[in-house]
Amino acid sequence: MNDRSILDLLAEHAFTSGLGIEDRRLLADLTTTRSYQPGELLIQEGQPATAFFLVVSGRIAIEVYLKGGETRHLQTVVANSAIGWSWLVPPYRWEFDARALEPSTAIVVDAQRLRDLFGTHCTLGLHLTRELLAVVADRLKSTRLQLLDLYAPSRGGSA
Amino acid sequence: MMDDPYVPTAYRVVQRRRETADTVTLQLISPDCPTFAFEPGQFNMISAFGVAEVPISISGSTGRPEILEHTIREVGVATSCLVGLRVGDWVGVRGPFGCGWPMTQAERRDLLVIAGGLGLAPLRSTILHTLGHRERYRRFVVLYGARTPQDVLFRHELEEWRGRFDAEVRLIVDRADATWRGNVGVVTTLFDEVQGMIDPANSVAMICGPDVMMRFCVRELQKRGTPDERIYLSLERNMKCAIGFCGHCQYGPFFLCKDGPVFAYSRLRFLSDVREF
Repeated sequence: MNDRSILDLLAEHAFTSGLGIEDRRLLADLTTTRSYQPGELLIQEGQPATAFFLVVSGRIAIEVYLKGGETRHLQTVVANSAIGWSWLVPPYRWEFDARALEPSTAIVVDAQRLRDLFGTHCTLGLHLTRELLAVVADRLKSTRLQLLDLYAPSRGGSA
Repeated sequence: MMDDPYVPTAYRVVQRRRETADTVTLQLISPDCPTFAFEPGQFNMISAFGVAEVPISISGSTGRPEILEHTIREVGVATSCLVGLRVGDWVGVRGPFGCGWPMTQAERRDLLVIAGGLGLAPLRSTILHTLGHRERYRRFVVLYGARTPQDVLFRHELEEWRGRFDAEVRLIVDRADATWRGNVGVVTTLFDEVQGMIDPANSVAMICGPDVMMRFCVRELQKRGTPDERIYLSLERNMKCAIGFCGHCQYGPFFLCKDGPVFAYSRLRFLSDVREF
């Protein structure tokens, strides 16, 4: 995929659409797009967090593995959202797995180079960090609501 | 509607369909009442004879008034009795009571139905009504959150609705094992998935589920521009007489049985930050 189409994708994606054209160009230099087949891992727990993913299409499961290799699907991420913040927090290793549930496409940003860019382009860094914080806050809110087990029989909805 | 609202009419169970491990849908008919007219969102008081009477939303279709349908979860003594009924058993029915969903107001607008857990039961009537009169409504989206894949109600109908070209139906569960290929998370996360499918400013939203879930859904709808006047909630409290006399279901200035159970959020907004409610 050429630079022009990556720029278009960055302009359309909710995470980066608020960036100015110059910042999007800077980001495009660190970026590729990749397709994933169902079952394919985007990130794997314990591995170095070398990339940051913006989901363009498809659905991705955030998973954790349990005893015996069984995995548990914790949350689903869909187009226009982002995957991964471990690339921004030392020691830069993934804490969970992310696996494509269906044919999916993501914008893949080189995390090391993006961290370096944050040091020299603070406005871009601030914008992306704010967007990422919004994603983290959304996931945390969802997690808290999931923990409430709202649909348990004793507290279920109307009969 | 019966002549005396306190006197139940006898209905016979003609079909019992198990929805989940603790929930069944009963189909009822009455020799004394060949048709039962109601509005989607209304409820009946159902008697398990000799045990108790409980309020249960009507989950059936307005297009089949000869069959009364109730979807009941086993949560207490009375509902355990009702869930345990067999074909040929009898129940008492008083109703219908309360104000239903604003199906007329929703006409010529986008319609967004949001259900959580057993909240899909009172909204099933709405969905069936909408699909039966599809030309009256613009875009139609259903979002449903369940506890686990095993707790999904009306599974076959959901599959049928999802297969239609004139409705968007999205399902999400709070937790699932590795065999589940669908969405995991809370129902509010589905709003992003259907963004662009409806016009929030020109839509009517109907929500039923646990209070906390409805509160978070209201916030998401407000954020997206749906006016409070067109966000409708169905509230569940302890209905007893069902005609606004006994006060058991009082909620601020309202009796839910008579003034509700369906309310526009604009009427409830002043109570939304009162934690005692």
